[in-house]
Order: sequence, then C-alpha cells, then structure tokens
Amino acid sequence: MSSKPQPIPVDAVSTNFAQEEASHVHQVYDQIAPHFSSTRYKPWPVVESFLDNQLAGSIGADVGCGNGKYIGVNAKVFVSGSDRSQGLVGISYKRGFEVMVANNLALPYRDGWFDFALSIAVIHHLTAFERRVQALAEIARIVRPGGQILVFVWALEQRGKRVFDPHHQDFMVPWVIPKNTPNPPATATTAPVAATADAAQGEAGPAEPQVYHRYYHLFREHELESLVTDSFLNGMLGVVGRGYDKDNWYVILEKKSSVSCL
Amino acid sequence: MLQCHVKGCNDPSLSFPLQLKDVELEQVETEQNDDLLANLLQKIDWNALQMTATELGLASLPETIPDDPDSDEAFMIKLHEVLMEMNITQGKMECRGCGHVYPIKDGIPNMLLAEHEI
Repeated sequence: MSSKPQPIPVDAVSTNFAQEEASHVHQVYDQIAPHFSSTRYKPWPVVESFLDNQLAGSIGADVGCGNGKYIGVNAKVFVSGSDRSQGLVGISYKRGFEVMVANNLALPYRDGWFDFALSIAVIHHLTAFERRVQALAEIARIVRPGGQILVFVWALEQRGKRVFDPHHQDFMVPWVIPKNTPNPPATATTAPVAATADAAQGEAGPAEPQVYHRYYHLFREHELESLVTDSFLNGMLGVVGRGYDKDNWYVILEKKSSVSCL
Repeated sequence: MLQCHVKGCNDPSLSFPLQLKDVELEQVETEQNDDLLANLLQKIDWNALQMTATELGLASLPETIPDDPDSDEAFMIKLHEVLMEMNITQGKMECRGCGHVYPIKDGIPNMLLAEHEI
C-alpha cells in the first residue's frame, strides 16, 4: 500500500488572513470542485433531520453550500445556497438550485430574512477566531428572531481515517485526486492555475495522483460553543443543541427574540 | 431578499432593492408551494417586488396585495411565476445607493466584494 498523505500541522498562520484563505481554501476548492463534488452526495443524518423539522414553506440559507447536497433534501422548504467557490456554485446551479457566489464574512442578504440557516463544514476554513465569530454573526444577522442555525465543524478528536497531532489545531489537509480521474475545471475561465499540481489533463485525467492542500482549523470539544459564549454573539444567540457526529462537532443556535440586529 | 452590503452603504432606502439591468430572463416551471408563497408574502417588501417586476416587464402583479391572498388562486399563480419561476440568466444588479454592480452570469449572481468593501 502506498502511504496516504497525512495532515500537516501549521505552526503559525499568516496574519494576512484573507490571502491565506484565498490560496489555501478558495483556489483549492475551485481546482478540486468536480472530484470533491463526486464524493459528496449522502446527507448527514443530523443535517437531514434538522431540515425535515423545519415548517413547510420555510425559507433557509445554506451558507457554504458546496455542491448543494442539502438544498433539495426537504422539498417543502426553500433554500438559497451560497458558496465562495465559483466551481462548486456552478455544480449546484446545474443541479437546478438557486445559488450565488458570496463571502460568509459579508453576506448579501437582508437582515432577519431567513427562518433557518445551515453552516456545514465551512467556518473551520477561516483562519482566526475573530473571523469564525464574524461568519456566525453574519448568519445570525440574516436569520429572524427565533430562527435556528445548524453549524458543523471538523473535530480535532476525530478517530477516522485521518490522524491529527493533538498538540496542534491548524492544519493543511491533503485532498488527493486519484490517478486517471477526470476532474475538468468547473469554471475553466476563472479557475486559477494550480501551484501544486498541473491542471492540464485529458479525459482520463493525469497519470499520477494529484495532491492539493486545504487549510483547516480543527475544533476541540466545546470550542464551537465558545465562539458564541466568549464573544459579542452571547447576547444574540443561544445554544439549544450540541453533539458529535461523523468526525464533527455541531451546535444548534437560536437567535434570541429580544435583541436588535447588528 | 438581496441587498447591497458594501461597507458604508447602509441607507436602507437605497441599498434595497438592487436594480436589475440588461437582464435576460427564462421561465422554468416548478411546482407551486402555497405554504412558501404565504411565508414569502409576510416577508416581502411588496412595493419593491412590484417595482422590480415592472422594470423587468412582468406587469402582472397588482399594486397592492389582495385582502385574502391565499384564496385568490389567480394571484397565487402569478406570484409563483414571478417569484419562483422567473430566472435571470444574464444581467446585473446595481445598487441605487453606492452604484456597486453585481454581475449575473449564466444564472449565477456574483455577490463578492473587494476586501476593502467588507
């Protein structure tokens, strides 16, 4: 067996947070979008039941919707999807979903418009505590009082196929496209040129496996709640559910009814 | 649903609704969801919707919401068409306040801002 590339700890994240996320998150997702999407089709049970519990006719936001795998789960609700990756948004659109390219730190929606929101495997790609808080603050802004937000992030304590050095929390996590896998760029005109891998490939894909690295902040138990309880969000959001599922920590947040919008 | 979110562009009378320009439309039939339409009616700024629909040449919506919209079948069908079935395939959305332009290409709006605008 060939050795599988393992996550690489990052000692110090560059303080140019936006640039760091552009090169180690946004560009990588554009490069791996078709292959990544082909591996993302099965809804996680906690997310599915959260969606099924929404009232018929509810309106939700899926912030960081990826390939849109949660947008059509409950046909009785309407979900507007957004993602920073043009490649993934393009795939969602082709599946018939209402989607747009947007940044979690500055969402284009009106205050209090949504009955619920999803943030599934998104804010662990942000490189600083303040940016993770800001991402949740933006989602809280667009949800109505009483509306719920489901947030999933990767757990440092996970015991799956990847092993993380428990003394670190920031990692470059490899994404491997096996050899001979077609991965046509979803946005050929906008996808940046790969720095770590040659994007030029035929129909069968390159003869060698292609390895890309995405930045992740791995969350310790209770750290996700601390984004709310240790920040200005404490006054506007309550934690109404929490748990561990599929290598992730999750919380269900509820916007308090007595607060005004940011 | 969408508004301008450029930092400092916070005059609510101008940052919403965004003005649609150079628009190409297509109609895609979808199943009508009356629960969803009733919920949208609670949330929508009717004047903004009416103005936008008129600008797009969709002059089928009344100036005010009927008294009992849920039981007005013809109204609900029109509302469903305008809100859920009309897709903008090409065009742009322009903020009436700061002039920021959000392009729509191949059905996908690009709502990204430059880092200094956030």
